[in-house]
Amino acid sequence: MAQTAATRAADSAIFSLPAAEARERLAAIVDSCDDAIISKTLDGVITAWNGGAEKIFGYVSSEVVGKPMLMLFPADRADEESDILRRIGQGKNVDTFETVRIRKDGSSIDVSVTISPIRDERGIVIGASKIARDITARKQAEKRLAQQAEELTRRMAELARSNADLEQFAYVASHDLQEPLRMVTAYTQLLAERYRGKLDANADRFMGYAIEGAQRMQVLIQDLLAFSRVGKQDLYRQKVDCGSVMKDVLRALAPSVAESAAVVSYGVLPVLWADRTLLAQVFQNLIGNAIKFRRQMPPVITVTAESNPREWRFRVSDNGIGIAAEHAENIFAVFQRLHARSEYPGNGIGLSICKKIVERYGGRIWVKSEIGIGSTFVFTIPSHDHGTKEVSKA
Amino acid sequence: MNSRLVVLVVDDNPADIVLAREALAGSSIHSEIADCADGEEALEFLHKRQKYVNAMRPDLVILDLKLPKKDGLSVLAAVKSDPDLKQIPVVIFSTSQLHQDIMRSYELGANCYVSKPGNLNDFFSAVKSIEEFWFGVVRLPPQGE
Repeated sequence: MAQTAATRAADSAIFSLPAAEARERLAAIVDSCDDAIISKTLDGVITAWNGGAEKIFGYVSSEVVGKPMLMLFPADRADEESDILRRIGQGKNVDTFETVRIRKDGSSIDVSVTISPIRDERGIVIGASKIARDITARKQAEKRLAQQAEELTRRMAELARSNADLEQFAYVASHDLQEPLRMVTAYTQLLAERYRGKLDANADRFMGYAIEGAQRMQVLIQDLLAFSRVGKQDLYRQKVDCGSVMKDVLRALAPSVAESAAVVSYGVLPVLWADRTLLAQVFQNLIGNAIKFRRQMPPVITVTAESNPREWRFRVSDNGIGIAAEHAENIFAVFQRLHARSEYPGNGIGLSICKKIVERYGGRIWVKSEIGIGSTFVFTIPSHDHGTKEVSKA
Repeated sequence: MNSRLVVLVVDDNPADIVLAREALAGSSIHSEIADCADGEEALEFLHKRQKYVNAMRPDLVILDLKLPKKDGLSVLAAVKSDPDLKQIPVVIFSTSQLHQDIMRSYELGANCYVSKPGNLNDFFSAVKSIEEFWFGVVRLPPQGE
């Protein structure tokens, strides 16, 4: 066994003393040790008991020497002692193990115990030495940690549940609101169609406001429904060629691309394992925004992708109006708008849908932007599928 | 004899039936419109039972999916599995955009699936298109057994 220079020095210091003094010195060291050091016969009768043992178990030496070691064992662990005595009788060590013992006051204590045989000059096993260490503090810390972990798991489950509830609520609310709202919309329109110009100027204006409000609410509800559907659907994964998704998206956006004289270019895009429709929604929202929030010049939009070992990283860059740094976070919130409806139409749902889709695939989305220069939206899609179940499209 | 084409509108929302009637009233086809407010009533009408013994056989059924008593899909299934009724074209007219509702409707033999628009003009033009297509463009199954 490797010994350090220090212990070798200590050993030689002790052994250079006269025998009686050396034994006394050793006894003093043993006695002052914080660990319980106990010896017992092969029958399990205690023969020695140090100061550490007094502190840990609460008995003074005179109370226990000559008594069976079993008095320290809880009733349900009495078997341990017979196992220990059998091993020791065979001349084997009992490697360090953790267990519970009983103190004088009846309370239990967590200890780690190592037991080795004691041999006489001829090498015959005549007893055992036992070193026990109080590990109550460590055990309690472990228990606290386990409780905290359990608490955390519970809270996460709670959060997931309340999120799901909220999503379900948004879905049901927006779904069920559609029907009555459809009536309001249709009948205010019918009223206006039949009676416009037949009442008075005020009535015409009131009908106009009612129709406008109902129509806007319809769009909001549809957006909300679209948003909550992203969370409800099973996450399909199929091989998707992002290049061909981009072609579809540009076809869908062709009118606004033409109208704004936008130049949209894209590099080599990967084949991903994802849902084609959802991915197209992300590209379409980002490119659509890049066109919508343009300056007084034709938008120039570039889409690129690069990979690292963990993920694909997509960038959609534009030369548009840009976003102030203080809004870089909250533009992803539901119904968040930075501009008047008259300047730039829309409900502010697009980016929150992008965020939800990207996050469902375990990715992230953010923006780097400078006012008056342009914006770059970056999103990642992890290369490996960890969280989601693969579902083939029906 | 009665040469007017008959449309049966099945919808539990009276407001929608009124809208459908308004839409059809403005058309040049002058079809006759009957309506039922739930699925059971619709089947009684089609089978000429109870209060409908004298009902006319419709040339077209416009069927909502969300109906009390018997829902639209059950009515559709009943019509399309009945040798006497299955020739009648059934147009599903519903606000549901759910893929499974659309799929299920076609699986059960719906002749087409039209989304109920929220906007009045879209609603009118949807109903008029249904009428014009089925009564103007299409050759319907010959009447008279």
